[in-house]
Amino acid sequence: MERSGNGDLVIETHGLTKRYGNLVAVDGLTMRVHPGEVYGFLGPNGAGKTTTLRMLLGLVRPSAGSASVLGVRPGSSEGLAGVGALIESPGFYPFLSARDNLRVMAAHAGVDAERASVVLDEVGLGDRANDRYGNYSQGMKQRLGIASALLKDPDVLILDEPTIGLDPKGMAGMRTFIRELGSGRRAVLLSSHLMSEVEHVCDRVGVINRGVLVKEGTVDELRGRRSLIVRATPTEQANRVLEGLPEASEIRVQDDVFTVTADPASAATINRTLVEAGVAVSELRSERASLEEVFLGLTNDDEEGSR
Amino acid sequence: MRSLTAELLVLRKRASTWILLGIWVLLGLLFGYLLPYLSYRGGDVGGQFRTPLEAMLPQDLVANTLGGFPFFGGVFALMLGVLVVGSDYGWDTLKTVLVQRPSRMRVFGAKLAAVGLALVPFVVVTLVSGAVVSTLIAGAEDAAISWPSAWEIVRGIAAGWFVLATWAAFGVLLAVASRGTALAIGLGILYALVIEGLLSALASEVSWLDGFVEYFLRANAYSLVAAIGVPTASLGDNGPGSFFGPFVGAGQAIVVMSAYVLGFVGIAGALLRRRDV
Repeated sequence: MERSGNGDLVIETHGLTKRYGNLVAVDGLTMRVHPGEVYGFLGPNGAGKTTTLRMLLGLVRPSAGSASVLGVRPGSSEGLAGVGALIESPGFYPFLSARDNLRVMAAHAGVDAERASVVLDEVGLGDRANDRYGNYSQGMKQRLGIASALLKDPDVLILDEPTIGLDPKGMAGMRTFIRELGSGRRAVLLSSHLMSEVEHVCDRVGVINRGVLVKEGTVDELRGRRSLIVRATPTEQANRVLEGLPEASEIRVQDDVFTVTADPASAATINRTLVEAGVAVSELRSERASLEEVFLGLTNDDEEGSR
Repeated sequence: MRSLTAELLVLRKRASTWILLGIWVLLGLLFGYLLPYLSYRGGDVGGQFRTPLEAMLPQDLVANTLGGFPFFGGVFALMLGVLVVGSDYGWDTLKTVLVQRPSRMRVFGAKLAAVGLALVPFVVVTLVSGAVVSTLIAGAEDAAISWPSAWEIVRGIAAGWFVLATWAAFGVLLAVASRGTALAIGLGILYALVIEGLLSALASEVSWLDGFVEYFLRANAYSLVAAIGVPTASLGDNGPGSFFGPFVGAGQAIVVMSAYVLGFVGIAGALLRRRDV
């Protein structure tokens, strides 16, 4: 058995790279997922998310770098025994019932066929278990995909865009479900391009763009410090006052609106100082970048590049 | 073993498996018994009966049944091999299976074993249905009923299975290579019908082709069934599956076909193991 990596991590990659000819799909990716956390893998379409997940499951061979899942080589039987996965759209036999599909997968997984009924109930498909998969709606197919991933009661769940194709109610239900799945010892690696999904579900987030991990941290860390928006006139005098305040840093001005990086608790002090200096303050509010703004800032070059 | 159980469940519940089996058996009865019998009952054609009654009686059961295996049966077996492996690409079930736990080679082995087991009823049901119809013909014609020996039947089943398994292995290779079913089935039929068929037909006129044809899949499959009693004259009157030779010995046929099976399975396994999914 090839064992590698840190025992405290469930997923660890070092310089993981995948090339298809001249195209570098994943470029030197280094990431770590800890036990019990929901890790969001965020990136635009074509950023390399699915290729990375496929490498972590042994479906795709890396061109360079290394990876370990549960301490062993990705794709090894020992590692897969503790991993459940749903990659892109679910793939099942259309002529088999949901129950029979899961029995087939349970046999391949080496787990008891009775697990099929357990996980079908868990994802809310118990009463439709004997329906043919081909007759399922998109939402039911997604849920069956999750059920298949849960067959082994895995330590790590790898879910690739699990809410794709779902209606808003289905998406909300799936998010709650994923949050529950990751609430115990189990780690969840969730790939998505939906900000709200990642923001509501994930403990930590890695942003991937053009195959490169451009940022990693908690949602709070990614959104950065809060700013104060100050609308004040006359502009030159307001600028002088703000530059002299120790509470304010990184002052940007556009028209008569200042964006000041500062603790929101200092808003009263800043307001008083400006007013006492004869500056008229017509607006003062706290603001913080949304995850979407951060994401667009980090992946902006991708959009430009695609034009 | 559990992966084999899973593959057999999929095969058993899949309509196309039963459709292939049903059509194959019906065609076998149609061309092996019904049309020859109608021709026989219709009387003299060009001064002689097209098929002698003896060929349709139980005593010739093995020979009469196996004549259709090297080409017609082979195409059905090829389609079965393609469907068992190629469909997993189309339905995206291969990735779902591979992320469960088994190694790629374990899944591949289970699929091969499932195809091999599924071919047993293709041979046995053909023989059993042939036995029933030949008995009915014997009864209708007041002919004496005598059966082939057990050894002849076992040998026939083994040879028939081996011929079908070789073609099925070819189907498996085509499915893995093309990662699907449509192109694989098209290429397989094209190869069987056009490449081997035309070259075999030309071999009688172009002497240097004879050497090549002796190593063709069809030539060796026909040689194998001829070696266990299928009259070579009947193989030349086999529609698009007609074969006029050259025939090789049973030993060479077994060796060449075994090499084909090993080659097909080995290349398919290597492709499945190495390529990204």
